[in-house]
Amino acid sequence: MGDQPILRINALTKRFNEFTALHGIDLNVRDGEFLAIVGPSGSGKTTLIRLLVGMDEPTEGAIWLRDSRIDAVPANKRPTCMVFQSLALFPHRSVGQNIEFPLKLRKVAPATRKARALELLELLRLPASYYDKRIDECSGGEKQRVALARALAFDPEILFFDEPLSALDYRLRKTLEKELKDLHRRTGKTFIYITHSLEEAMVMSDRIAIMKAGRFEQIAPAAEIYARPRSRFVAEFMGEVNLFDMVDGRVPGLRFGPRASNLFVGQTGTLVVRPESVALLAPGEEADVALEGIIESEYLLGSRVQYTVAREGAAPVTVEVLRENAVGGPGAPVVMGFGTSACHLIAPEARDAAA
Amino acid sequence: MRTSRLMGWLLVAYGCAVLAFLYLPLVSVGLASISKARYLTFPIRRYAYDWYGEALASDTVRDLLLVSLKVAGIVTVLSMVIGFLGALAFARYSWRFRKAYQKLILLPIFFPQTVLGLALLMWFNTVGIIPSWKTAVVAHLVWIAPIATLVISIRAYSFDPALEEAARDMGATTWDTLREVTIPLLMPGVISAGLFAFLLSWGNFPLSLFTTGADSTLPEWLYAKMVSGYSPLVPTVGILTVGTSAVLLALGLTAALIFKRARAARNA
Repeated sequence: MGDQPILRINALTKRFNEFTALHGIDLNVRDGEFLAIVGPSGSGKTTLIRLLVGMDEPTEGAIWLRDSRIDAVPANKRPTCMVFQSLALFPHRSVGQNIEFPLKLRKVAPATRKARALELLELLRLPASYYDKRIDECSGGEKQRVALARALAFDPEILFFDEPLSALDYRLRKTLEKELKDLHRRTGKTFIYITHSLEEAMVMSDRIAIMKAGRFEQIAPAAEIYARPRSRFVAEFMGEVNLFDMVDGRVPGLRFGPRASNLFVGQTGTLVVRPESVALLAPGEEADVALEGIIESEYLLGSRVQYTVAREGAAPVTVEVLRENAVGGPGAPVVMGFGTSACHLIAPEARDAAA
Repeated sequence: MRTSRLMGWLLVAYGCAVLAFLYLPLVSVGLASISKARYLTFPIRRYAYDWYGEALASDTVRDLLLVSLKVAGIVTVLSMVIGFLGALAFARYSWRFRKAYQKLILLPIFFPQTVLGLALLMWFNTVGIIPSWKTAVVAHLVWIAPIATLVISIRAYSFDPALEEAARDMGATTWDTLREVTIPLLMPGVISAGLFAFLLSWGNFPLSLFTTGADSTLPEWLYAKMVSGYSPLVPTVGILTVGTSAVLLALGLTAALIFKRARAARNA
């Protein structure tokens, strides 16, 4: 990976009449990086990718590709390419003709074109006989690979993806996620991947940018976002989480041991604890932070069990333990605990800040 | 749903009745064209086929055919072009007055053709254009181009706008996109629109009546001859007219089939 960013976004704003889809966002993408942009629908991620590939123009701000400013350059003059959500494969062209399309536009000789298409079929693990196949004869996963091959034939500086896996079934999606990650490694290209599925983003990307209402909430590697979310929204978006409001070092219903008391003295904010960090304490067992309640419901998650524990006068707590550590079912009173190392405190002023 | 035996027979009988009502009159015209009698009488007592020879040799009939073919041919080509562009505006691109345009385009179709013909004639007179087969082309287009637009729009609605965006994203200019993606994908719609346009123009009477001026198309002549000066030449020309439509329809369908086969072969 180079030091200089391949893509720089500077104070990018997009307004549609009264509605502001993007609020002056900034972003740097490293050369060769796999960046996932994640957010719920309506968060502005599709607007952003349309600006990045040149299908829309920003209202304000700039997009730089290495040293050239490209925000006013039309899509067909940009050295970037996108894999569409619908894949947008040409139904009236064969697999081979689809892959060769960008080369044909550049007036590459037919023989050279075909050689390249066959190379790409091999790279995407499709048999050479697919060259003459019709698009509607391909399965969902094969179409996916053809779309990728076509984008690679274009040889873009940056490859964009607009949720291309969202229409596939779970198992195929898992396979293709791994293949895509593998392809990223082998080609060394910069991938920018848009999705609403955090799971997809975590499996594949080097960094995740989380979007909400036209702003980035946090941009960081998956592990960091998971362990140290910058805001309540990010914490909740990253999966099941327990959030406790802390005022002046105290949280009602939580008993702090000496280590926790020292750590949180005088602090105010939101305490974030993941369900798998909460343990069910045996009688007499100690923890930095302890709390109690009554099991309300239990869910089996394969090798793990998840409990919702009701507490008096407070929100229920979610606990996830290994199956062998499971305790009684609903109605059983339990004492729970977690260590300070599992805690992350979101400062109140950071809650609504944009990255 | 299972139909009983009786129900089945009733359905068959109903189907036959509908076909008879639709096609028997045509058969009777065919029979009239081979009658020896000078007047329209039934049943036909003596048959003769000379009228076909006469029709093909007649200068009048040749002129009529020529005018009708010219009008229908030009209307077909222009309808395909206007319909293609119109359908893109109708179904593919969002623009400010699209809603209004989608409604306005239906207006000529809902107008009674006689009124439309009269209105156009008055307009041509006002502007100082002498009506001829050329003005008939314009009149036919007012009515047929919207129909062609709608026929092609159905096709245009069914294709993914991302296809054009993808082509553009991969470096295609507007012209490349049109040539490589839009036109091939809309082609089946354009061909059916062309067939419709030809048949509608070829058989049109009310618009032609008002707007051809001194020229005359086949349907006009048929009507004029029915009113005064009937001879078996009238049904003969009528049958020739139907025959031309049929041949054209067959040609059009064959062309569509060949187009499909060629594509399949190219892709196979």
